[in-house]
Amino acid sequence: MTAVWLTIARKEFADALRSRMIWGIVAVIAVMTSLSASISLLVPDVEGGAEMAIGGASQFAGLLVPIMALIAAYLAIAGERESGSLKVILGLPPSRGEVLLGKFLGRCGVVAIGLTLGFVVSGVVTTALYGGLPVGAFVGTTLLTVLLGVSFVGIAIGISAVTRTRAPAMTLAITAYLGLTLLWDLAPNAVHLLVTGEMPGQVVPGWFLLLQGLSPTGAYNALVQRLLLGGGTAVEARLGGPEPAYLDPVVFLGILVAWAVVPLAVGYVGFSRADLS
Amino acid sequence: MDTGSRAVSDAGVSADDESAAIRTTGLTKRYGDDVLAVDDLDLTVYEGEIFGFLGPNGAGKSTTIDVIMDYVRPTAGSATVLGFDAQTETRAIHERVGILPDGYGLYDRLSGRKHLEYAISLKRADDDVDELLDRVGLDTAAAERVVGGYSKGMTQRLALAIALVGDPELLILDEPSSGLDPNGVRLVREIARDHADRGKTVFFSSHILSQVEAVCDRVAILNRGRLVAVDTIDGLRDALGTGSTVTLTVDAVPESLTLADIVGVSEVAVDGRTVRVRVDEASAKVDVIDQVREDGAALLDVAIEESSLEDLFSAYTGDAPRGADASAGDR
Repeated sequence: MTAVWLTIARKEFADALRSRMIWGIVAVIAVMTSLSASISLLVPDVEGGAEMAIGGASQFAGLLVPIMALIAAYLAIAGERESGSLKVILGLPPSRGEVLLGKFLGRCGVVAIGLTLGFVVSGVVTTALYGGLPVGAFVGTTLLTVLLGVSFVGIAIGISAVTRTRAPAMTLAITAYLGLTLLWDLAPNAVHLLVTGEMPGQVVPGWFLLLQGLSPTGAYNALVQRLLLGGGTAVEARLGGPEPAYLDPVVFLGILVAWAVVPLAVGYVGFSRADLS
Repeated sequence: MDTGSRAVSDAGVSADDESAAIRTTGLTKRYGDDVLAVDDLDLTVYEGEIFGFLGPNGAGKSTTIDVIMDYVRPTAGSATVLGFDAQTETRAIHERVGILPDGYGLYDRLSGRKHLEYAISLKRADDDVDELLDRVGLDTAAAERVVGGYSKGMTQRLALAIALVGDPELLILDEPSSGLDPNGVRLVREIARDHADRGKTVFFSSHILSQVEAVCDRVAILNRGRLVAVDTIDGLRDALGTGSTVTLTVDAVPESLTLADIVGVSEVAVDGRTVRVRVDEASAKVDVIDQVREDGAALLDVAIEESSLEDLFSAYTGDAPRGADASAGDR
């Protein structure tokens, strides 16, 4: 007997195939990451290898994946609430929690498969351009990108669970995107300025790197850099000293996971208390 | 029944919970500070009956159903369905209930058949899709098409089929006839009757009396969130005194006409060979016919005219049955 949340997740996935949403994700990721992977070949002075190419692709992915995951999931519940199909589903045995879980897993599947296929394409392009591919770094980056996508699906489902209609869900999704990807980049600089009286230079304090890595995209970037630049030596160079324990990769992995789980939990609490009339 | 009081209570009827399909106790739902959608509702629907839930738009019918289905949480009071608590034992209820909700939507990109397959798998039922389609009068070709292209009537039939998935013990239909043509309206009645014939319960909400009149065993009338009457349709007529008019055509009007003495007769008027008798109780109709013969007249023709249910409705709700009353919105 299949669990109802799995049935819901499957339907979500099938819907995404039907609406070609998944192919949109594949296409955007494939084109943009392939392009950014080839940039170092186009700019003559930049010395590039395949790792650099993957790094370039991840920079782009860090900006693109959040917006795609948000688009893929922000209407998952609010849209059904607005159209009234939620009343039909919740009139059947699934509980609100199971609907939330099924939606989250289904949309995660869509984003994960879309991103993976997109990265496979850019992997092929990178191999062709550079004559080889560091498989470990490539697979690692792909997995981290999927995890970034999952974080933003969690955020989007959380938003979708606490909004009644499309418009406020969209407003919150855009706010989340701007706040977590663009504004957060500025925050550590501002704090640094406030604390030390000057803008961050070549060497920065440890808390500065932690602050940068507290956002999902920041945590993703920290993890990808560590993966591609090999261990903590780059971090130590940046700090000008030994690396504190709170900059361990596990911390950043935890941050990424928390960004999926906390919004989901908040969304669940709001959704399970809501009057769906 | 005490019609002098504005609110009536259906509680205290001696029946245990096992035979109650729906029971609400002191059910109250308030939205914000000034909207009282349902006000201290005590209602019992017994298993196996077709129960009509009547009231103007905005009376609180859908809100009551929303609480029963746990779409909304009550401000006070409680509801049980088939003996299960609506708020804490929701799954047990939803496994046994089929609902056609108010203000529902379907998936535009999904075919009718996919909808039914989805509902069947979520309910872990083993219904045959074609059989469900047949019950609601949707042909199999239409079922292959996506719902985005359906007419309102077809959508309503599909939603009705979804409600029938798993042969539910209780079928809740919230304004099931909206968007349906006369054939569809008849179909809803047939489905309700058919379901009751299988020993199941049907809870049928409507703002149009004629739609529930023909099919319901009992009806409740809700107005401004309060229950104003619970009875059979005949019982409501009797209680209100807006009963029926029996028109008797006789060969000759007997001198000693004793019709006015019959219990339940409120008025007797003679005009030539025609006797018009206003009757407040349903049972008095036959008595009138018997008595006129006993008085010595030969009966040539009998016509019975029921008072309009719309009149009845207005008498209870105290205002026009449709339209302006919307202090609470129909949610």
